[in-house]
Amino acid sequence: MTVHRIKPGDFTKTPIDKTENPDLGTNMIPKQRYIAPDFMRKEWERMWTKVWLWGCASQDIEEPGDYLVTSIGKEEILLTRQPDGSVRGFYNVCPHRGNRVMVGQGNATTFRCNYHHWEYKLSGEFENLPDIETFPQGAPPCGGLTPVKAEEWNGFVFFSLNPDAGPLRDYLDPLCEHLEPYHFDRMVKVIDWTVEWDCNWKTSVDAFNEAYHVQGIHPELLYFIEDKHIQIDTYERHNRYLIPFSTISHRVNETTEIPHLIKHAMQEAGMDPADFDGRVSEVRVALQKYKREHGPEMGLDYSDLNDEQLTDDYHYMIFPNITMNTHADDLMLFRQRPHETDPDKMYFDVQMFKLLRTDEERPRKPRNERFKHGERSMGLVIDQDAANLPGVQQGMHSAAYEGLWLGDQELRIRHFHKVLMDYVGED
Amino acid sequence: MDLGLKGLKAAVSGGSRGIGRSIAGLLAQEGCDISICARGQENIDAAVSAFEGNGVRAMGRAVQGRDGDAVRGWMRDTVDELGGLDILVASLSAGGGTNDERYWYRNFEIDLMSATRAVEEAYPALKKSQNASILIVATMAASETFVAPMAYNAIKAALVTWSKQLAEAYAPKGIRVNCLSPGPTMFPGSNWEMIKVARSRTYNSALRQQPTRRMGEADEIARAAVFLASPAASWCVGSHLLVDGGFTKGVQF
Repeated sequence: MTVHRIKPGDFTKTPIDKTENPDLGTNMIPKQRYIAPDFMRKEWERMWTKVWLWGCASQDIEEPGDYLVTSIGKEEILLTRQPDGSVRGFYNVCPHRGNRVMVGQGNATTFRCNYHHWEYKLSGEFENLPDIETFPQGAPPCGGLTPVKAEEWNGFVFFSLNPDAGPLRDYLDPLCEHLEPYHFDRMVKVIDWTVEWDCNWKTSVDAFNEAYHVQGIHPELLYFIEDKHIQIDTYERHNRYLIPFSTISHRVNETTEIPHLIKHAMQEAGMDPADFDGRVSEVRVALQKYKREHGPEMGLDYSDLNDEQLTDDYHYMIFPNITMNTHADDLMLFRQRPHETDPDKMYFDVQMFKLLRTDEERPRKPRNERFKHGERSMGLVIDQDAANLPGVQQGMHSAAYEGLWLGDQELRIRHFHKVLMDYVGED
Repeated sequence: MDLGLKGLKAAVSGGSRGIGRSIAGLLAQEGCDISICARGQENIDAAVSAFEGNGVRAMGRAVQGRDGDAVRGWMRDTVDELGGLDILVASLSAGGGTNDERYWYRNFEIDLMSATRAVEEAYPALKKSQNASILIVATMAASETFVAPMAYNAIKAALVTWSKQLAEAYAPKGIRVNCLSPGPTMFPGSNWEMIKVARSRTYNSALRQQPTRRMGEADEIARAAVFLASPAASWCVGSHLLVDGGFTKGVQF
């Protein structure tokens, strides 16, 4: 059984060419990068404060005055929509006594610190400082909130703590061309979770950068995806793999009954598995054809996507911390954020977006829900990853463990570390 | 015991994989010429060459089980090419499926109608045979509530009833008809192999109900099937044999 792939010359806007695998050697990746406070400090100074970071969805701050507070490490960042439609970002800290200015998300005409009611315009400048005449030295010379760079792309707001950061599009290169055909700005957010995990942020990034673990902790996915023979591409900073979905793994035998996850994918597209006369291995291409034919009548515009994007997972990683499972009808975006101080903890953000059919009502905008791992389910597959990661982090501290011993299926992890070390410079 | 199968001609619908394949393979080992039909040409080709390894004639046709003309055509071609027919085993199945009305049509066409169509086409040849027999493969899930209410279980039950009536009607013509109901069976590519991995709760629940604590193997079903279909089972007429490792709890009087 071979998985049908599109070929050069077939319609595609997203480049499908296989990049040449970089020679990154076979060295062990030292475990200190995952557990050492010193490395965490270097990461902050040399990487987190230099790169562009995903902040929120554009739809989170849709209207002028909409704001959202996100965080990275020890910093909170206030992202907001301006009356002219642009976005701005600020350190969410009041220059008076250091209090945070805003909390969560909402709409405001001015930003006001709760402590002494220092007030700021949407543009960040001082609006009103109560009893300013009692400050003989006058207002702080910064003139208001301290800005961070903020730019929008394809329905997302990014920010950078680096005042010298180049344009966002340059940073994302070449992924703009890859991901714009998905039109994430047409999708609506349906899930917004933040989960505290007991592992380093990179332990989580790694878990999504290889499909080798599917046969380990996600065996049921063997009856939904091809997990081994997948295309891995690495770019300057970012990387991806292309995973065929709605098919079965080479590791298992083809069955007569269509596995339930594949049936579900067919039903979601309006295709009836009970009327499908082909074999299980023939579903994927049939489903692609069906969606191509019937998508438009349901109001689903797939015209910029190639055939296999209609079924498959084009799985992108935006350095340093964004994992994107891109599909024609939805996007499952994970953001991995470091803990403020502890290399053994992190924040795992799940943001799910969905392309709505014409007959589908727009669901209520989800508010960010925050919980600890184990307090609630995030669905079988993410739960399986989440349950596994604390054990990985724990093991990294063992005297018997020296570092990551990576194989070819884990090339993206090696590439990620290469880019990371381009920033951090030394262990 | 000699099963008396050497030199007979047998047809097995759905004989390219699983239980059907094991039945066809065992019949070939016993010296029967074999004809199978199934969906996938690759599996058919592999099966046919394996059957031929026993020094018998073997043929196969790729058919879609819902296509009545195709099933009938396979049966007629089989009689032509093998020069007659002694044994027909109807084991083609669409498998299970829930929550969709279409599964009723699917099981009706593939499980039930493919059997009745094959029997109808085979009848003239079987009537001429000195060792004619028909074996209908149903399922233990027709006799025992199992997993979920679904078309598969109920349509297979129709096959059990139909086979009994067929046995009475055909006995005077010298054609024995019997029915065999396998319990949960594990083989490479079986639905249970998938369920074990993809829906482990369903699998574990089925296994807990199995007093033998394992599922059957295709050959364990096939040995019983081949006996029932063979001249050695000359006094088995209208039998319904459960081959399920003790799964069913009901007592059959």
